[in-house]
Amino acid sequence: MTNYFKLFLTFLVASVVLLACTKGDLPVDEDGLLITQRAECAVTNFELLGSDLQTVRSKAPTIDTTAQTVNVEVFFGTDLKNVYPQFSLSSDCKLEPKVPGKMDLSDLANPKVFTVVSGNRAVRKPYTLIIKYQP
Amino acid sequence: MRLKLQVHKFSLLLLSVVTLMIACQEKEYMIPNPVSQLSNDAIKRSLGPNIVGFLPMEFAYAMALPRTQGKLVSAQVEASIAGATGTFLEHRSFYTNGAGFDVPVVVGSPSVNKGNLTSVTFNVDTNAATLRYYYVVPEEARGKAVSFTFSGTSSDGKTVSYKMGPYNISKMDIKRTLAVTNNTNAYISIEDMAVYNATNAATNASKIDLVYLYRAAPAAFTHALVSPAAGAQYLPGVTLPADINRSTKLRKVFGVPDFNLVRSFGSYTSSTASGNYIDDLDFQEIDLSSSPNFAVGMRAESGVWAETADGKYRAFIFVNTVNNNGSAVISMLRYVLK
Repeated sequence: MTNYFKLFLTFLVASVVLLACTKGDLPVDEDGLLITQRAECAVTNFELLGSDLQTVRSKAPTIDTTAQTVNVEVFFGTDLKNVYPQFSLSSDCKLEPKVPGKMDLSDLANPKVFTVVSGNRAVRKPYTLIIKYQP
Repeated sequence: MRLKLQVHKFSLLLLSVVTLMIACQEKEYMIPNPVSQLSNDAIKRSLGPNIVGFLPMEFAYAMALPRTQGKLVSAQVEASIAGATGTFLEHRSFYTNGAGFDVPVVVGSPSVNKGNLTSVTFNVDTNAATLRYYYVVPEEARGKAVSFTFSGTSSDGKTVSYKMGPYNISKMDIKRTLAVTNNTNAYISIEDMAVYNATNAATNASKIDLVYLYRAAPAAFTHALVSPAAGAQYLPGVTLPADINRSTKLRKVFGVPDFNLVRSFGSYTSSTASGNYIDDLDFQEIDLSSSPNFAVGMRAESGVWAETADGKYRAFIFVNTVNNNGSAVISMLRYVLK
């Protein structure tokens, strides 16, 4: 009976140690984010909020994953100096540069470029954010 | 070895018994000592910032003594800064009936204001009363702190007192339900907290900060608050009276329902407004330096933070209602910066 108990205890301890080691082995990047095996790298959705935290888009954004562009049309009178962009990305991806919250996107002649980095950090795709006013 | 094991078992048993005894010991309820002398208490009933000349600060002051020791003779409140006209201490004590309504019972003669003191003399034989105190914030208290000392006297010569405060008095001003209409009463002055038509605007040109417009097209335009100095595309078809040219910075917001601005409309049902207030600190901390001088697409329950061109005032303008015939009702909180 005692032997069975000892055997069970040993098995339990070994399992805990093994599990703990598996998690600890995954690498983490400079932002503390997990580096995974995923190579997918794309913008999947985009939202743009005004200073009142309401959408300023006049219609759904057009995301071209081949041309790597995000086209957004905003309402007449939108204050693009004070907007909050929100990117949705493929699983495990991250964005560079980081979106700090409120941004100035008013320079329509020089669209901002955001780079999507895949989960395995091996693929990098720059996306151009093209904004225009509703005609 | 066997003896050692027995000692160990005994210790464990003893520890368990002691633990059980402690755990099972009930704390007996102590009957509180009844009040044996004149005593008092006070609460502040009103919420939100204390604004000069607006809703009074409201308190409830309760006094009681055992029946055997006498009755209440008088109650008074001393404010550190004398209240404005309308300040009073209720001469009626309230109780809440079964239906939840406050029912007044007259216990004294109407209150008398003398300098900083407001007092009520009881004229009925009562040994307990709760009186309400309404302090109308005077102009001289603006930006200062006010405290109150409530006191009560009983027929046995005893006096009790209760200090409340200090309470900061806001530097804000408030103006509610200003009607604006497209092309007519369309000129808004933050300094005057008023709306003018074109003729009156021309005579107050240096004070006009915003123009109200309604345009059905483009679809995103609708109701707008625009600075006179904004681009022509934001003032379509508008010919401004001479010398109206100020540029006011504006930040559109939604979901900032200050209860004081909202509650002028009884039908407003949003629970988010209840207990939400804009205070001096909001005006002190907001940075409008990068904000534009126009706000289009305004709708009911939206608002704008504004800063006048001379940097003298900041304001929050709340849109209470809009009507697509080209009119709206707005309310305003204004803060003097310098």
